[in-house]
Amino acid sequence: LFLPCASPLSDEGKALLSLKASFSNVANLLLDWNAANATGDGDDDHCAWRGVLCDNLTSSVVALNLSNLNLGGEISPEVGELKNLQSIDLKGNKLTGQIPDEIGDCVALKYLDLSGNALYGDIPFSLSKLKQLEDLNLKNNKLAGPIPTTLSQIPNLKTLDLAQNQLTGEIPRLIYWNEVLQYLGLRGNFLNGDLSPDMCQLTGLWYFDVRGNNLTGTIPDSIGNCTSFEILDISYNQIRGEIPYNIGFLQVATLSLQGNRLTGKIPDVIGLMQALAVLDLSENELVGTIPPILGNLSYTGKLYLHGNKLTGPIPPELGNMTRLSYLQLNDNQLVGNIPEELGKLEELFELNLANNYLTGPIPLNISSCTALNKFNVHGNHLNGSIPLELQKLESLTYLNLSSNNFNGEIPAELGRIVNLDTLDLSANDFSGRIPDSVGDLEHLLVLDLSNNSFSGVLPAEFGNLRSVQVINISYNKLIGRIPQELGQLQYLDTLILNSNNLYGEIPVQLANCFSLTNLNLSFNNFSGNIPLYKNFSRFPPESFFGNAMLCGNWLGSICQPVLHP
Amino acid sequence: SVARRRLLVGPGSWPPTCRARCGRCRPCVPVHVAIQPGRNVLLEYYPEAWRCKCGNKLFMP
Repeated sequence: LFLPCASPLSDEGKALLSLKASFSNVANLLLDWNAANATGDGDDDHCAWRGVLCDNLTSSVVALNLSNLNLGGEISPEVGELKNLQSIDLKGNKLTGQIPDEIGDCVALKYLDLSGNALYGDIPFSLSKLKQLEDLNLKNNKLAGPIPTTLSQIPNLKTLDLAQNQLTGEIPRLIYWNEVLQYLGLRGNFLNGDLSPDMCQLTGLWYFDVRGNNLTGTIPDSIGNCTSFEILDISYNQIRGEIPYNIGFLQVATLSLQGNRLTGKIPDVIGLMQALAVLDLSENELVGTIPPILGNLSYTGKLYLHGNKLTGPIPPELGNMTRLSYLQLNDNQLVGNIPEELGKLEELFELNLANNYLTGPIPLNISSCTALNKFNVHGNHLNGSIPLELQKLESLTYLNLSSNNFNGEIPAELGRIVNLDTLDLSANDFSGRIPDSVGDLEHLLVLDLSNNSFSGVLPAEFGNLRSVQVINISYNKLIGRIPQELGQLQYLDTLILNSNNLYGEIPVQLANCFSLTNLNLSFNNFSGNIPLYKNFSRFPPESFFGNAMLCGNWLGSICQPVLHP
Repeated sequence: SVARRRLLVGPGSWPPTCRARCGRCRPCVPVHVAIQPGRNVLLEYYPEAWRCKCGNKLFMP
């Protein structure tokens, strides 16, 4: 029991107990925060309490570290009594309520971290009284209202992180006139207004992040003056207009402009920005061709241009971007061949060229991209057959060649790409037998061979695809029976085999596929009875339509179903 | 100012040279470092910046 009158504690000790009283979930966390622990020998008993740090000489509380303790409740206004506090770290708790105005009385504060809680209400204006404050981190809360203009009155503020809240209004222009500010994190709020030309007055800033707000207007021409920026992220706003030429004067390592409404061409000058590690211009309305000079960016690891209206060919010069690990050019209007020069990208991890108008074959050199993990050319006009060399891409986990004009047989060697989790060859002109070796792809989750001209039988080796969840081979010319080995597939969720020439009885073993929820065997030549036990009762008649000799419980069936014992 | 000088030199940038940026430690080479901007960002990449690296130590360029 806390009895203030009887307590031998100092005023600061009492303030700490008030803090404790307004927290919840403290039972096991702040056991030693207890007036009964105070012996009365001195004023500094609270200095031994968990998370409390006192000055050696004066015994005043200088730091409070109660981060990541799952604390609930609120921050007591009594915190303002701790006048010598230099550091408050309460991040990663479940604190709610408002930030008390009295926190502005902790005039010695240099470091305030309340991030990762559930604090709501406004950011108190009183924070501007903290003239010693260097780090202010309030991200990941539920703070609303405007960013107080008075924050610009904190002369030593180096880090201002207000990301992931519900802040509204404009970014106060005065904040941009802080010469010591190094980090400005405002992502994930509801801030509006334009990007002010004043933003480049931040001569000490290296991190500028306003991603995911409602900012409008254009990129100011003065952007070239932001030469201290290392990271410029204005993505996912509603920024319009063209990318200004002056952007070429930036020294940034990350330029994130994606998810805006930028128009016009990609300026050639970007090809001179060799400090770029990440260039993301995706999901805008950019037109024109991909400037071949981008191939100059030999230190860039990630290039995202997808989701624009880019036309013309893929410049072979992109093959000179030897550090590239991500190249996403999908969802544009690109034409011509896939340049064989891309084979020089030995560090390439993901290549996405889907949904363009690309023609010609997959160049054999792609097999030199031995780090390639994901390869997607879905939705183009590519032709030719699958090159045998593709088997060298042993790291490949995702291979999508769907919706093109590819033809020929699947090479048996494809079964050597054992890390594949997705193999999508659907909607092409592939023919011939499905090689047994596809059954060697033991990590496969999705196998889509639908809408081709595959003939021959379903390999019994498919029973070895022990992780597979989706098999779709509909709209082909398969013959023969469903191998009973498919009954071994415990994770099979979707089996789509409609519109083939499969025949024979539906193997009762399929009822052992406990996960099977989507089954389509319609429009084949199956006969006999539908297994009517275990999970098979869940499949509607549509799963079996168009099999004239199949016996099931639908209108016009050749028989009434027979219940198995 | 730095900005005005840049305008005179012209556009374009270059990775840091990292010359003498790692104290006495050698070799000192420029590397990309991911900057973690917050939580709940599992599906997106992190922004990256240049740092100078020697052994397992990072230095400001």
